[in-house]
Amino acid sequence: MSPWNGGRSLEVLTLGLEGEIFALEATYVREILDLTPITEVPNSEPFVNGLINVRGKVVPLADLRLKFGMEQKPPTIDTRIIVIEVAIDGNPAIVGIHADKVYEITQVAASALEETPRIGMRWRPDYIRCIGKRGADFIVVLDVERIFSMASSREEPPSAGYPSPQLSAA
Amino acid sequence: MAKTILSVDDSASVRQMVKLTLSGAGYTVVQAGDGAEGLAKARDTTVDLVVTDLNMPVMNGLNLIRELRKLPSYKGVPIIFLTTESDAAMKQEAKVAGATGWITKPFQQEQLVAVVRKVIGA
Amino acid sequence: MTALDPAETYRQEAQELLEQLEQALLDLEHAPDDTDLIDSAFRALHTIKGSGAMFGFDAVAAFTHHVETAFDLVRKGKIAPSRELIAVALAAKDRMRLLIEQPDTVDTTPGDAILRDLEAIVAAPEAPIVPEAPSSAQAKPSATTWRVRFSLAKDAMAMGTNPLLLLDELRTLGVATIVARTDGVPPLEVMMPTDCHLAWDVVLTTGQPRSAIEDVFMFVIDDMELSIDPIDTTSDATRIGEILVDRGDVRQEAVDAAISSQVALGTLLVKSGHLTEDKLAAGLAEQQHIRVEASAAKGAAKAAGQGADSIRVPAERLDELMERVGELVIAQSRLTQVAAASGDMDVKSIAEEIERLALALRDTTMGVRTVPIGSLFGRFRRLVHDLAHELGKQIELVTIGEETELDKTVIERLNDPLIHLIRNAIDHGLETPEGREAAGKSPRGRITLSARHAGAEVLVSIVDDGRGLDRNRIQARAEEQGLLAPGVKLSDGELFQVLFQPGFSTAREVTSLSGRGVGMDVVKRTIEGLRGKIDIASTPGSGTEMALRLPLTLAIIDGLLVRVGTGRYVLPLSAVEECVELSVEEDARSRGRSFLNIRDDLVPFLRLRELFQASAPADRYQKVVIVSSGDLRVGLVVDQVIGNHQTVIKSLSKLHSGVETFSGATILGDGAVALILDIAHLVELGMAHESRLKAAG
Repeated sequence: MSPWNGGRSLEVLTLGLEGEIFALEATYVREILDLTPITEVPNSEPFVNGLINVRGKVVPLADLRLKFGMEQKPPTIDTRIIVIEVAIDGNPAIVGIHADKVYEITQVAASALEETPRIGMRWRPDYIRCIGKRGADFIVVLDVERIFSMASSREEPPSAGYPSPQLSAA
Repeated sequence: MAKTILSVDDSASVRQMVKLTLSGAGYTVVQAGDGAEGLAKARDTTVDLVVTDLNMPVMNGLNLIRELRKLPSYKGVPIIFLTTESDAAMKQEAKVAGATGWITKPFQQEQLVAVVRKVIGA
Repeated sequence: MTALDPAETYRQEAQELLEQLEQALLDLEHAPDDTDLIDSAFRALHTIKGSGAMFGFDAVAAFTHHVETAFDLVRKGKIAPSRELIAVALAAKDRMRLLIEQPDTVDTTPGDAILRDLEAIVAAPEAPIVPEAPSSAQAKPSATTWRVRFSLAKDAMAMGTNPLLLLDELRTLGVATIVARTDGVPPLEVMMPTDCHLAWDVVLTTGQPRSAIEDVFMFVIDDMELSIDPIDTTSDATRIGEILVDRGDVRQEAVDAAISSQVALGTLLVKSGHLTEDKLAAGLAEQQHIRVEASAAKGAAKAAGQGADSIRVPAERLDELMERVGELVIAQSRLTQVAAASGDMDVKSIAEEIERLALALRDTTMGVRTVPIGSLFGRFRRLVHDLAHELGKQIELVTIGEETELDKTVIERLNDPLIHLIRNAIDHGLETPEGREAAGKSPRGRITLSARHAGAEVLVSIVDDGRGLDRNRIQARAEEQGLLAPGVKLSDGELFQVLFQPGFSTAREVTSLSGRGVGMDVVKRTIEGLRGKIDIASTPGSGTEMALRLPLTLAIIDGLLVRVGTGRYVLPLSAVEECVELSVEEDARSRGRSFLNIRDDLVPFLRLRELFQASAPADRYQKVVIVSSGDLRVGLVVDQVIGNHQTVIKSLSKLHSGVETFSGATILGDGAVALILDIAHLVELGMAHESRLKAAG
């Protein structure tokens, strides 16, 4: 569990999902693409059920709107794909993230950052690193590593008859 | 005795990648999340090499390099910084500040090891 | 992670060489006149010795030296490779392996005994055989000799640059003669030790381009003086006077004047003040370097040496090569598409030619990184032989499919799991000769190792004809250990998976062989780490089979492109038996039934539209692609069969590791991503579907 910032400013990329402003730390961001054809992966987890071609590399596409219980409206001319590099279980991986709109890369001063409240949040606190204030708006800074490590560490579906690993007697 | 490398970067992913890559190559890696922490750790133990990002909170990489070069124990210790390819002006500034070499982002694991080997050997 | 520690690299190299040596020795017993075998053994010994010395493995280097000397005599026809010599050599090989694994071994008695035996044989030669001396002139790669002179900024060392590392790097490029120039060093009293006052003159003979030399200085190039000039080594320009004039250190007149007196030119020039000691030393060094290179070049041209059969290449380079070839194949398939649509005959025929070349390139490149599994199987011969002895069992090892090729890294990682499985089979599976006879079997047990390609996978299996697995005992034990809910009904295949649970054991005692920490759970994890699967099947009294399925990750395969709804998918062509159009009547008839009637053959089937929840309207005439996995066939119903496609396999991300229907992805000619179907899994699904429908009546 990565601790939040504690007194340092952050450089972030701000993006929009269903009218809400989220942010990713700029160091994760590799590039920003226009919408490209998406190949669906049947029977996969809806959160990562697409694949895109990034210059010859097959990259999974994640839709964060599903993590936040949002409607998946059809894409517009503002829709972008943010290609990030994040460590999943220690191995660097390339993943694409759907964004309704990409705003800018901006610095959020340390003084404007606050720890994520544990309760009363609209969004699941586990996914959020910290909150930034910019004027009257709140920028929700996502905890990218957490979001994806949880997505990839789904338990193996128990094989017929055997209890799943955590439940069996050691 | 394995050589020690101080890796200073505010991105957890980059720090992790650097640590995995270089410890796999036989070095011991110490980490810091910003320039100030990096300077503090550098003072604690004199390492064999410092690898630092430039854009960091609290104390950025350039200032870290300058501060390190003020320390007598760091005379002669190589310092490598991370830079994006097109930034010739930054390279110049960093060299003036006292950097020894650089690695361009984004980089592959093999490139990192090659540069580290070049600058401090195995 | 690649091994980057030089000692580790040596150990790996030595492992391969020791195997090469053992094979050569074993084969030499049957064919003592085979000079290739003798050379192979000698080369292995030579390299183990030479590299061993370089990486600090002194004990093995010293020991191997004697064995190498003995084999040199064999090579020259002075002694014959008798059975005794081969036996001693095999013992020596085991000793070498020990010395590599435990370089600090103090007790030299066993090694000395071997060397004494060796000496005894060598001293009493049998009738020498006369090998044909292979003469292959070793072509030297075209090399240039450069004069590299440099000096660094005064604060270069304070800023972390280590000139010694720069010089080391230059040395890695070729043969270097280095002279340090001290003329710039100030007196001790005024000198700052951290300032750099030295300059260097390096004469370097290298096959690498000039840019490689410049790269050495890449971090300091802006703040230093550097000159890189080629030297003409072909003419007889090796006289010091000419060299010094060429270097610009003296004028021709001074040289001429000095020559006219008869003392050594260089000394005279120094005496007469035209030249500093320093510069003379550097000039003489250049002269020496060139002379050495020139004679080496002549020597190499005459020498009847062995050309290297192979070169070592970093694995990353091969990965890059594979990627480029993959991209080429993708682009070529686009070209073929476009050419087919165009009416231009010239373009069409060129596209065909390029297709032919691309496929040939594909095959060659895939062959570079892959290694036949026979290399792994070969290692096990000795293991089985030794184990059989130790346990007092008679065992025959049969191998099938040794030529099946796998990626080198996969083969290396399979070594330990396969060893464990073979040990298990020998220890627990096979009975003693008495036990076998009592059971009405021949006293000799058999272990069969087989490997074959199937679509985008490799199937490796270990079969023993021993006592098989006791279902009931396993089930009872698993329930006892809480690994299984009591009374649950499971198929054999499902039940046997419990053997892979950590801590599970039915053995009454743990023998010295199995149960040594490399448990079955580690075997399963290793196989899964290679994205493979392992299954166990068994017949009580007859034997057990361990079947491994491994994906070919670095591969370009022949694929069949199909469309289901709006998505396109690829099937490995080797798994495809045929494609048939589904008539409207049969389509209707098959609803609710468990099989399709294909030319009076009943085939279980899967409608991929349903499996993939395709919503687009269905094509009127569905197609059935009949695929097979092992002995099982299944019909896959799709909207359209598009055609052949050279498929460059890209692995799926970890985020999709749970989706078993697909074994990978590929990029089509138009840039879209297509998923590759996992045939084995689909066949399983098809069979399960059929059973359910049958059960439902």
